[in-house]
Amino acid sequence: MLHALFLAECPTSLVRQLRDADRRPMPGRLWKALADAGVFGLLLPEEYGGAGGELSDLGVFCVEAGRALCPTVVHATLQAALAIHLLGAPDQHAAWLPSIAAGKLCATTSLSNARNAAVIAPTLRACPGVDGGWRLSGTADFVGDADLADHIVVSGADAAATRTLGFVVALQADGVHIEPLRLIGGHRAFGIRFDDVQVADRRAVLAGPDGSGLTENTLRRVANAAVALLSLDLVGVGEAVLQRTVDYTVAREQFGRPIASFQAAQHLVANMHIALAAARLAAHSAVFWIGRGSTATHETAIARMHAANAAKSITLDAHQLHGGMGYVLDTDLHLFSERARVLSTLGGGADVAATWLEEV
Amino acid sequence: MVDFELDAAQNAWLAEVRDFLRRNVTPALRSELAEHGQESPGGEVASFRRKIGERGWFGLNWPPEYGGLGLGATYQHLLMREFEYWGVPGPDLTVTSVAPMIMRHGTEQNKTEFLPPIARGELTCAVGYSEPDAGTDLASLRTRAVQDGDEWVITGSKIWNSGAQRATHEWLCVRTDSSAPRHRGISVIMVPVDLPGIEIRPLYAWSGYRTNEVFFDDVRVPVGNLIGEVNQGWTYITGALDLERGALTNAGDLRRALDELIELAGQQRRDGSTPLQTSSFRRRLAQAEADVEAALLMGYEAASLLDSGVIPTVEVSVEKVFTSELRQRIADLAIDLLGPDGLLAYRSAGAPADGKFERLYRVAPLMRFGGGTNEVLRDVIAQRGHGMPSYGR
Repeated sequence: MLHALFLAECPTSLVRQLRDADRRPMPGRLWKALADAGVFGLLLPEEYGGAGGELSDLGVFCVEAGRALCPTVVHATLQAALAIHLLGAPDQHAAWLPSIAAGKLCATTSLSNARNAAVIAPTLRACPGVDGGWRLSGTADFVGDADLADHIVVSGADAAATRTLGFVVALQADGVHIEPLRLIGGHRAFGIRFDDVQVADRRAVLAGPDGSGLTENTLRRVANAAVALLSLDLVGVGEAVLQRTVDYTVAREQFGRPIASFQAAQHLVANMHIALAAARLAAHSAVFWIGRGSTATHETAIARMHAANAAKSITLDAHQLHGGMGYVLDTDLHLFSERARVLSTLGGGADVAATWLEEV
Repeated sequence: MVDFELDAAQNAWLAEVRDFLRRNVTPALRSELAEHGQESPGGEVASFRRKIGERGWFGLNWPPEYGGLGLGATYQHLLMREFEYWGVPGPDLTVTSVAPMIMRHGTEQNKTEFLPPIARGELTCAVGYSEPDAGTDLASLRTRAVQDGDEWVITGSKIWNSGAQRATHEWLCVRTDSSAPRHRGISVIMVPVDLPGIEIRPLYAWSGYRTNEVFFDDVRVPVGNLIGEVNQGWTYITGALDLERGALTNAGDLRRALDELIELAGQQRRDGSTPLQTSSFRRRLAQAEADVEAALLMGYEAASLLDSGVIPTVEVSVEKVFTSELRQRIADLAIDLLGPDGLLAYRSAGAPADGKFERLYRVAPLMRFGGGTNEVLRDVIAQRGHGMPSYGR
């Protein structure tokens, strides 16, 4: 079903259009189709309009999303929903989750470091304001999709009580300054400065199920979930590119035979397959254990190491097997290569993920 | 055995080249190259080329009877390596590949007509070999030339025809005998690009680099523009491809890239952290250092062999495979160690080294399949280097 949805609503022409636009529009039709299919509520409890599914279900979605190069504002919103669900209490759930499940709210997050997802030190400083509200200051760097999202879920250190809180902040709020960063291939990220931003609504403050603040473990689990899910997206990117490469080499003839019949080409394809097998298993395993309530740092590190390396090497070897035909922009192969490079970098690549193994 | 030490004359040459670059690579030239590549709308690149031509450096390794300086391949290697290090265009394929072929195989008329303007930098060629269905299998090319009186009439198309938009001529591989076995009916013709019947259509690559598809519709050129003898073209171009591979890189650009990367690795990223604090990045930089130095030695060895009269077919294949894959590894290492900062786009605000490595990541794939795919060159290394049997390609 997802496959057919993406085929109809997320052609590479849409991806290309969003890539090349100066001010990219919200992919409205795709967003609505995903909302109608229940994607945004997949993981959320039924009382908030969700399907009460498991993290693994979201994992399956992410593979398909990667295959289709689904705009990452979808992932960002899913991660924001997961964060509110895991970090908030029923009051906060009731305030935000129904509109996310219904596809009416688009959000992003800054809860871990973009360079190293294991760093979950609070992004902002939070000072108590009047009437029990909060005032936020500081910067969040390399935030995804802040041009399209309505809200950001961001962590802040409550200086007085030495605890970490989460905040759901409107990106239009006074004191929020957004600096666009142009990345490879039309991808974008944003540096966001919070300049004494007021958060008055208690329902926008995430302080854990009992209101005592966010534990390191829970924040880490949220960060690992993001890394593991995006590793599955990278698996989808690799799968799509492997398929394209097989199709192309079978169709392309040189020396009177398909270039797919040459052993050198077959071995590159076999290597792609092997790298993908490792990445797919490792990433599904990480998502499975996080879904079961574990922090799963060990599994997340392994997932990221395999997925980052697999997606990069598969896309670059695909360029090799496509030759000039995959290098010109007309054939769209670069769209996959760019996504592979971006998603295998944000949150930390294989070198960074290797250091996570040292902690456990 | 390779003499690893430059002699006094070679050292003086290196100093002369460096001095030339220090004086002539101006900020204006750099900014034109950054903005427009080699398209040279402001004339900086063109004027730089003229200065190279005035010194006779386009013909630096040609024999004096063709207006060359008669210097050896090692001199050329040293010059190219320095030009690559400075990131400026030097002697191109017209000089390093086309001209030697004319000297070796051309008619007297070919030599007097084409070599002097090439030496002055006035005649530049786009190399027209590949076609949509004739890439790695070049001998299956179909663009044909038919003789009509004292003219050849050319019809067909070429692809990956880089530089056609600024070249004066097409160095064109055509089929002149369709009944002959496929390697035997090919000729090379020099075709001015401004003739009627030639259409150049741009193709844009991932690197931002422009290449072209070029169409020839009953294009007429004088018979004297055919290089050497008719139907002997395959022998000529396979010899030229060996030279081309050697000239594709002398690893000067890799030395420069790694120097810049090592410098960046010691500087603060946007969040204040420094890549060199991470041991795995120090290890990977060390490996890249070892690889770049080996790549430089490979270029030096190939030049030494050429100077001793050997065509270094296997050696340039080794060099091409090694440097092209190393270029990709350096680009990948750069983004890995810079992290998200390394994703910042080429020439965008705040990008480290102006986004050079983001761009290099997109540039690097070209050299793995261009100029002979690495797969074919690995065949060359195994089969010509070790006498291993062909599997019948």
